Amino acid sequence: MLGSAAPSLALIDTLTEHWAEFRSGFWVTVRLIVISFAVAMVVGTLVAALRIAPNKWLQRLGGIYVEVFRNIPLLVLLFISFAGLRRGGVDIGPWVAGIASLGLYTAAYVAEALRSGVFSVGKGQIEASLSLGFSYAETLRRIVLPQAFRTVISPLGSLTIAMIKNSAIIGVSLLALPDLLKQARIVQARTFETNETFFWAAIGYLLLTGAVTLLIRNLENRFAIRR
Amino acid sequence: MNYLFDPDNWEWLTTGGNFRFILEGFLINLEIAVVSIILALIFGLALALLRLSSVKPVSFLAGAWVDIFRNLPLIFLILYFALGIPGSWKDAWEDAMPSWAPEAFQSGLVLGALMGLVFYNSAVLAEIMRAGILSLPRGQGEAASALGMTYGQSLRYVILPQGLRRMVPATVSQLITLNKDTTLVSIIAITEVMRRGRIVTSSGFFNPIEAPILHVFIFIGFLFVIVNYALSRLSRRLELRERKITGTKLKRVGGLEDQVAADPV
Repeated sequence: MLGSAAPSLALIDTLTEHWAEFRSGFWVTVRLIVISFAVAMVVGTLVAALRIAPNKWLQRLGGIYVEVFRNIPLLVLLFISFAGLRRGGVDIGPWVAGIASLGLYTAAYVAEALRSGVFSVGKGQIEASLSLGFSYAETLRRIVLPQAFRTVISPLGSLTIAMIKNSAIIGVSLLALPDLLKQARIVQARTFETNETFFWAAIGYLLLTGAVTLLIRNLENRFAIRR
Repeated sequence: MNYLFDPDNWEWLTTGGNFRFILEGFLINLEIAVVSIILALIFGLALALLRLSSVKPVSFLAGAWVDIFRNLPLIFLILYFALGIPGSWKDAWEDAMPSWAPEAFQSGLVLGALMGLVFYNSAVLAEIMRAGILSLPRGQGEAASALGMTYGQSLRYVILPQGLRRMVPATVSQLITLNKDTTLVSIIAITEVMRRGRIVTSSGFFNPIEAPILHVFIFIGFLFVIVNYALSRLSRRLELRERKITGTKLKRVGGLEDQVAADPV
C-alpha cells in the first residue's frame, strides 16, 4: 500500500485490523446481557410475587425494593457493588458486580411489568377461580400467569432493549470488564480513529437492539389476543 | 452490617464541607438534566413533526434518525461526542457561555455531555410525542381541515394542544431516567456528584478524613431516590388524571425502562 488508503476503505480497515477486539467485546456484551437478564427475571419474579402477596408487610418490602432500585442510577449501583463493597472487605469481581448491578436494577422494572401484567387479568376471574376451590398458588399458576404472559411480552422486550443499552455503562465505568464499548474505547485511544471505531461499536449495539426488537414483534404477533 | 452502620463510617458526612460539597454536585446533575430536557423537548418536537410529515422521504429520514439514536446506549453517545467533537467547538462554547450561567456549564466538556444527552433524549421524546399525537382520534384533524384550517393551523390549534398534553406523564418519567443518566457525564470528567464522591473518598490536603466509598455512594444514591421517587409519584398522578379525562390508555414507547414502570395499576 502506498501512502494513505481511500477514506471509504478506512472504515473497513478499522474493522478488519481490530476484528479481534471488536469480536471479543461483542461477546462479552452478549454474555453480560444474557446472564443479567436471567438474574433480572428471577429476582423480578420474586419481587413481583412479594408485591402481590396476601400480606401487607411483604407487599411493602417488595415496594421498597422497586422504589429503591429503579430510582437509583446504575452507575451508583456499580460504584457501591464494586468499589464500595471491596473497600468494605467483600471480595467481589467485576463480572459479579456488573451482573448483580445490572440484574438487580432491571429486576425492579421486571417486577413492575409482571405486576401490571398480573393485574391486567380481571379480578372476577381470580375470584371465580378461588370460589371454585383453587388454592391461591393454583389460581396464580393456572389462571393468572398464562394470561398475564401475553400482556407482559412487550414490556419485557422494552426492558431487554433498555438493558442492552445500560450494559454499556458497566465496561467504561470503573469495572475492568472489556465489553464492546470498552473495546472500542481502547482501539480509539490507540489509533485516534474516533469516527471509525465508534461506527462499528454502534453497529454492534444496533444489531443487538434490532434483533431483540424483531424477536419481540414476532412474539407479540404470535401471542396476540384476537378478538 | 456493622461496617455499614458504624457511626465512625458516617462521620465524613459532618466533617468539613463534605455534605455541602456532595449536595452542590447533585445540584449540577439536576441543572444538566433540566437544560437537557428543555433542549430535548424542542428538538424532539421537531423530529416528531418531521416524522409525521406527509412527505415520504422526510418522514423516512426522521424515522431512521429517531430509531438509530434511541437504540444506541446513551453512554456511547456521550463518549463519542466528548471524544469526537473538535476542540475548537469546545473553545467556542466556553467563549459563548455568558458569565451568569451556572459554573458547571462554563467548561467546554459540558458540550459533549449535552450533545449526547440531547441527541438521545430528543429521539426518545420524539417517539413519546408521536405516540401522543397519534393517539388522537382521526376525526380531530379531519374536522380541523373541514373547518378550513391549514395544516399548520390545525397542528397549532387542534392537534398539538391535545396531543402534547397526553405525553406529559411519559415525559416526566423520562425525566427520571434522564436524572439518573446525568451521572454518566462523570465518565467524561465533569465534576458532578459522582466525581465529587470520588474526591471525598480520597484523602488530601483539604480532606482530613478519607470517607468510605460504600457510604458515600449509598448517600448519593439516596439523594437520587428521593428526587426520582417524588417525580415518579407525580408522573403516576398525572397519568391517572389524564386517563380519567381522555378515557384512553396511551401506547407505551418501547425500549425504555421508565416507560414500563410508569404504568399505574
